[in-house]
Amino acid sequence: MQELFMGVDVGSVSTNIVVIDKDINVVSSQYIRTNGQPLETVKKGLKQLKSEFPDDTRIHGVGTTGSGRQLVGVMIGADVIKNEITAHATATIQFVPDVRTIFEIGGQDSKIIVVEDQMVVDFAMNTVCAAGTGSFLDHQAERLGIPIDQFGGKALSADRDVRIAGRCTVFAESDMIAKQQFGFSKAEIIKGLCEALVRNYINNLGRGKKLEPPYVFQGGVAANEGIKAAFEKEINHEVLIPEHFNIMGAVGAAILARDEIFVTGRKSKFRGLSAADLEFTPRTFECEDCPNHCEVIEVKVNDEVVARWGDRCGKWTNSVQQLDL
Amino acid sequence: MKVTFPYMGTTVVYKKLLEMLGHDVILPPKPTRKTIDIGVKYSPEFACFPLKVIMGSYFEAIQKGAEVIVTSGGNGPCRAGFYERVHQRILESEGHDIDFIVFDSMFRDPQTFYRNIERLRDGTPWHKVLKSLLLIYDMIGKLDHLEKEVQRIRAYEKNRGETTRIWEAIQKDFDQAYTSHTMKSAFKKGKEKLQSIPVKHVDKEDCIKIGIVGEIYVVMEDSINMKMEQLLNSLGAEVERSQYLSQWVTYNMLPKWINWTHEKAVLKKGEPYIPILIGGHAKQSVGQIVDYGQRDFDGVVHLMPFGCLPELVSQSIVPKISEDYNIPVLTISLDEQTGIANNQTRVEAFLDLVRGKRKQRLNKEEKMVGKKPESYCTSG
Repeated sequence: MQELFMGVDVGSVSTNIVVIDKDINVVSSQYIRTNGQPLETVKKGLKQLKSEFPDDTRIHGVGTTGSGRQLVGVMIGADVIKNEITAHATATIQFVPDVRTIFEIGGQDSKIIVVEDQMVVDFAMNTVCAAGTGSFLDHQAERLGIPIDQFGGKALSADRDVRIAGRCTVFAESDMIAKQQFGFSKAEIIKGLCEALVRNYINNLGRGKKLEPPYVFQGGVAANEGIKAAFEKEINHEVLIPEHFNIMGAVGAAILARDEIFVTGRKSKFRGLSAADLEFTPRTFECEDCPNHCEVIEVKVNDEVVARWGDRCGKWTNSVQQLDL
Repeated sequence: MKVTFPYMGTTVVYKKLLEMLGHDVILPPKPTRKTIDIGVKYSPEFACFPLKVIMGSYFEAIQKGAEVIVTSGGNGPCRAGFYERVHQRILESEGHDIDFIVFDSMFRDPQTFYRNIERLRDGTPWHKVLKSLLLIYDMIGKLDHLEKEVQRIRAYEKNRGETTRIWEAIQKDFDQAYTSHTMKSAFKKGKEKLQSIPVKHVDKEDCIKIGIVGEIYVVMEDSINMKMEQLLNSLGAEVERSQYLSQWVTYNMLPKWINWTHEKAVLKKGEPYIPILIGGHAKQSVGQIVDYGQRDFDGVVHLMPFGCLPELVSQSIVPKISEDYNIPVLTISLDEQTGIANNQTRVEAFLDLVRGKRKQRLNKEEKMVGKKPESYCTSG
């Protein structure tokens, strides 16, 4: 029987679930909008997987990543819970072995990862604001009344250049309105927006870093041809977009889970695809024992507390039998 | 006098010193969300983060009855030198008439320094003052020694949180010790307690060491730096800080011509990058990164308060040092808006990077000299 590994990337905008075989071929992949409900989304994904694979399918290892990695990791019983940066880099190095610079733009954060000899040597994440991420584009597309999947293509049809202030979403919007009044077309405005976003991204994240080719561009925003074109214009070099660009985090998590299982030879902690049927209740309460008022997150499975975290002093975290993650 | 002081690091030290001089010490509560909220409310928005936190601490201490605040001054062109003036004015405008005793370097203004000592001495005979000072000096040396052990052992502890609990108990023991004899036995007991912590066995190749550098307040006070030491330890890295109280005291007490402390050497190492004094701890930060690079540390976490000018300067020099000494550096700026989740991701990714780099380096060495005999970094 095939040895399968699953990776789950729970992001702010999308939740991605992939299954790879032991030679790192992507066997199944899903890209689901999170809509602020990570647990429900993952359950939905698991149900979908269950219907795709025969009943006796066994997953040999599971990795989670993304902002909801810990919560979902506890829920499904992950073998590896990894940060997004490592997960993304792992996947890219697999598919583009000689990669030197990775541009990753997701829904609410963006990263630059610098790679040397297949190893991460430097990275940066956006610090100040969302200008330079997918949410910025989402918002502007909505304002212009153009569906996000057609947004990028439109930019390519622009004739003229227009410079949009891209420092922050609010100012970008007022600048866009002004430029529309000056008579620029929607296509030109979109092109200007793409360039503003890229400029912002490179200035903010690339500062002080040597960015060498080959460049790989991934994350949900890589679907946008306008941004790709703006990148190529800004750095004056071809930018590669890998086949699985929008699920790279999940692929990376799956690869990390595979390596973990191969190295340790352990049995997976995965609760099985039927985990979708378990009753999961996360809740958050404010601890009143000191003025810190930490928000403690508690996860119950069928009325039994399986994990707590979020407290600064460790009182709650330590009160539960530690899962060795 | 009912005295208080800014909360920073191992506070049992200052508390004890003031107690031995016969004062009624009001220990400010450890900074919490509430402290920060109070501080932010009363401080100018563009003031640096430590000023805001300390402001909050003062308000809390005053509520508990403090009448006099003892603090240290600043050195060089950094806003820290004005903290006391700003704090006093804000307190005044809120209707608190509080006395400040500010200790600057005794070599710059010996008269004021002496006057301050007189005020604090408050009639205590000199031989007693001297005895207390010596005892305290001995105590911070011992505490720092133990803390360095804690920062190493905690990386390998089997039961999460155990080392931190023991470390807190040790500080309590020291708090109860008033003679050099009891202090010695507290030290011995502390050492034994730390030795008895069950630890995981980790191969030498997998042991990593991270240095923490930056502005002294955000480096020393863990309640406002996301408990960086504990975070790094929990991810399996040994930690060393750029600042320890005993080193700081020794460095500041000795006149220049006999000052051979490590601090002085560190400053020297930073001079190729920042030749002049620009205030704060920029020179130390830079020198310390060089020092860690030379001592074969695997990485450095550089902490700075958001908007701290000296550290902004050092931040812009970091990439160069990082390249010169082949040591990865992660800069994190902290203030009341700091989002934990984002920084947690950064720190985790940084440690992956550090481990990867270490592995690569060891592989290269192995190819050159052949496999070294096995050795371990913990005795457990």
